[in-house]
Amino acid sequence: MSMIIENKKVSSLWLIGIIVAIIFLLPFVVGDNWLSLMMEMIILALAASALNLLLGDCGIVSFGHAGFFAVGAYTFGLLLYYHISPFWVAFISGILAATLFAVIVGWFVIRLVEIYFALLCLAFSQIIWVIVGTWYSVTGGDDGLNGIPVLSSLYPVKNCYYFVFTVAGLCLVLLYLIRESPFGRSLHALRDNRTRAQAIGVNIKKHIYIAFIISGFCCGIAGILLVVLLHGAFPGYAGFIKSGEFLFVCLLGGMYNFAGPIAGAFLYLFLHHIITRYTEYWPLILGFGIVLIAIFFRGGIVGFAIRKISYFSIQKPE
Amino acid sequence: MTLDTIILQIVSGLSEGMVCFLCATGLTLILGSLKVLNIAHGSIYMVGAYLFFTCNRFLANIPGHFYISIFLAIIGAAILGGIIEILVVRPIYKLKDIYQYITTFGVTFIMMDLMKIIWGGSYYTINYPVFLQGPIHLSGFILPKYNLALIILGFIVFIAMYLFINKSHFGLVIRGITADRTMMSMLGTDVPWAYTLVFMMGCALVGLGAAIIVPITAAGPGMDVMVLIKGFIVIVIGGFGSLGGALLASIIIGLANAFGILFIPKVAAGFPFFVMVILLIFRPWGLLGKPIKLD
Amino acid sequence: MQSEKYPTFLFKSLNKGVGMILNVEKVSKDFGGIRALNNVSFTLEKGELSSIIGPNGAGKTTLFNVLTGLLKKSSGRVIFKDEDISELQPYEIVRKGIGRSFQLLNLFQRMTVFENIQTAILAGRGLINNLLMPAKKMVRDETEQLLERMGLTEKANENASDLSHGDQRRLELGIALANKPELVFLDEPCAGLIIEETKIMMNLIQKLAKEEKLSVLVVEHKMDVVFSISEKIRVLYEGELIFEGIPEEVRKSEIVQRVYLGEQKN
Repeated sequence: MSMIIENKKVSSLWLIGIIVAIIFLLPFVVGDNWLSLMMEMIILALAASALNLLLGDCGIVSFGHAGFFAVGAYTFGLLLYYHISPFWVAFISGILAATLFAVIVGWFVIRLVEIYFALLCLAFSQIIWVIVGTWYSVTGGDDGLNGIPVLSSLYPVKNCYYFVFTVAGLCLVLLYLIRESPFGRSLHALRDNRTRAQAIGVNIKKHIYIAFIISGFCCGIAGILLVVLLHGAFPGYAGFIKSGEFLFVCLLGGMYNFAGPIAGAFLYLFLHHIITRYTEYWPLILGFGIVLIAIFFRGGIVGFAIRKISYFSIQKPE
Repeated sequence: MTLDTIILQIVSGLSEGMVCFLCATGLTLILGSLKVLNIAHGSIYMVGAYLFFTCNRFLANIPGHFYISIFLAIIGAAILGGIIEILVVRPIYKLKDIYQYITTFGVTFIMMDLMKIIWGGSYYTINYPVFLQGPIHLSGFILPKYNLALIILGFIVFIAMYLFINKSHFGLVIRGITADRTMMSMLGTDVPWAYTLVFMMGCALVGLGAAIIVPITAAGPGMDVMVLIKGFIVIVIGGFGSLGGALLASIIIGLANAFGILFIPKVAAGFPFFVMVILLIFRPWGLLGKPIKLD
Repeated sequence: MQSEKYPTFLFKSLNKGVGMILNVEKVSKDFGGIRALNNVSFTLEKGELSSIIGPNGAGKTTLFNVLTGLLKKSSGRVIFKDEDISELQPYEIVRKGIGRSFQLLNLFQRMTVFENIQTAILAGRGLINNLLMPAKKMVRDETEQLLERMGLTEKANENASDLSHGDQRRLELGIALANKPELVFLDEPCAGLIIEETKIMMNLIQKLAKEEKLSVLVVEHKMDVVFSISEKIRVLYEGELIFEGIPEEVRKSEIVQRVYLGEQKN
């Protein structure tokens, strides 16, 4: 048994190495459009992975992660749009704002459970949505902010690509480390059995709060990266539908694996890209996809893949 | 601020509140008794509104078409609800809540596009029947008839639902299911079908609300999200599963909106959310819901 | 019912430390109008292996919940090693050196047996605030040791939910012992086990108690088990401690027989 696990580890290292190499070499091979798509994918992957820290690792649903996304995006965007501060200051400020938002919201939310938790998160994100969507004079209201100036070196798509992937990659590594740490184990414990987690010495509220803050932090960074990519910020970033997208992507890829939300994001945007070329009825197809996945493929694609792979590896003689 | 204005604002606020109430009744019935958060609620609402509009147009020459269309919208919404419940909600009752949210969320997308295909992307409204148009003179005040009719209708719906749930046989079944699903099935109730029926009832209410609102607010894209959020706010403030709470919350929101717009228009749009936040923090079970233990 | 305490004679005990480890003073618990526990008082000696018995609804699990902090007492004190723990949170109580197993299995279903124990050890040692180090290799030795003593080494990589009931009970016990507590509360550790498995489990508990110098308080319904291993038996009835003594005394007590043993077959 342990030999198979060892083999898996070695092969996953190889896999990661190959993926990193591909990411690095991609700009030399494909055009700008694909690079933009890839950037959108990794940004969504980061946002979904941030959400999954709560969803898959703590077993807690939030309907309001778009709130962090938008706070990060708009703080960063506004500071640059009105030329209030240079790029890096705006960058840090965006991160701090999203984290602070998480600190505030989290403090209120941890007292609640389940549906109440989810709805309070929604309420907070809706407040953000109302603010950015109606404060026309500052945020451009429904039109949003267009033409946000970023670092001049980031205008070429290739450079932007490396920047986005580096930042997102670092955040994903951070999320991975946290997930695999003793803290991450405690999250899994409180997900699987809250009573028992308490009974072995886990301070449930504190741990959920910390997870919430980390989640907001990473989601905010994702929002900032989207602004860097699109040079714009829009109220949709805070909408209920955006939060729903994050949730769906986690489910699509699989909540209980680290690679799940990442795979889900890539698949989701890939399908979106392809299908919207041929038809305008993407929501229809998406809707059917969502329903079918939720009913029939509950482990998500990664869960499905892992089951298939472990099936094959068990067949191999030791 | 004359008395006239105040009365007008009250009526306006109350009728706006009733709009919210009608947005929320179906949602609260389904959530309260079946413990299902129907995120497709807004979409079903929108279908009801569109159906009402279409029926009205087709039947324009028949006397009483307004009322017939309302009836058809109710039936249509109920049937749609039944289909959704059977295909999408039943398979996942036993699973964790997240699947429920996701499947009904998916249905929202499906409906969004189907409606775009069938009805296109424009806004529709109709005129209300002649006898409800215009103002009425009541003890010296001039008040819009339709708003008053809305207010009265809202109360009628509330009373009807209250009586139904508390006095009728099926209402007893509903209360039984809410309390203990397994027990009810052991007592001989065909629980899956009872669930479907309750779901359909909830959607029928949604259809009713949708139809009545069209003359005032028009039906169009974006209605689904708006109705859903409004519904959420009402049930949170009013209390999950509490009918009286929904009514109370709706009235409060409606009045607060009406007067808020007079004094602090900019923030008025966000006001319901603030109340929702405050409530969820200090009293998450809402005004009239059942208190839960805060960890 | 009035409490009657027979004089407890000196009884033989195996490997005892001197002194009290737990002092329960007049603990009461009210749920609305219902008094689930009424002025329950007793002490546990260090190294003592004793039981609590009582009919269903007597309040045994409620008592455990109060002692471990999952429920807040309405009045009284719980003193563990000279410290009042009755106001502490469950996780704080655990860190002081108290373990607990549950009547209804409370395992971490999605984790493997190894991870269950490992997480429990990490939590007990206060290492779970560590956000960045990989947990996989941490406390490996202790985990493997504990698994071995519980007899679960072969099942280490299986999911907790896939185990047989007997193995799940062992895991349940293992988690309770993970942070090397000085005092453990075991709530029906043999529930659902057949006679053979019960014997094995009770031997295991006795062995571990002796090796780790544990103080153990067991709630059980299986009378043969209770009478065979307990140094002391306490009887709870309708929230009150109505009797306390060595097994022979309990067997002979009329009060206990009237209330409880009369309906039981040994």
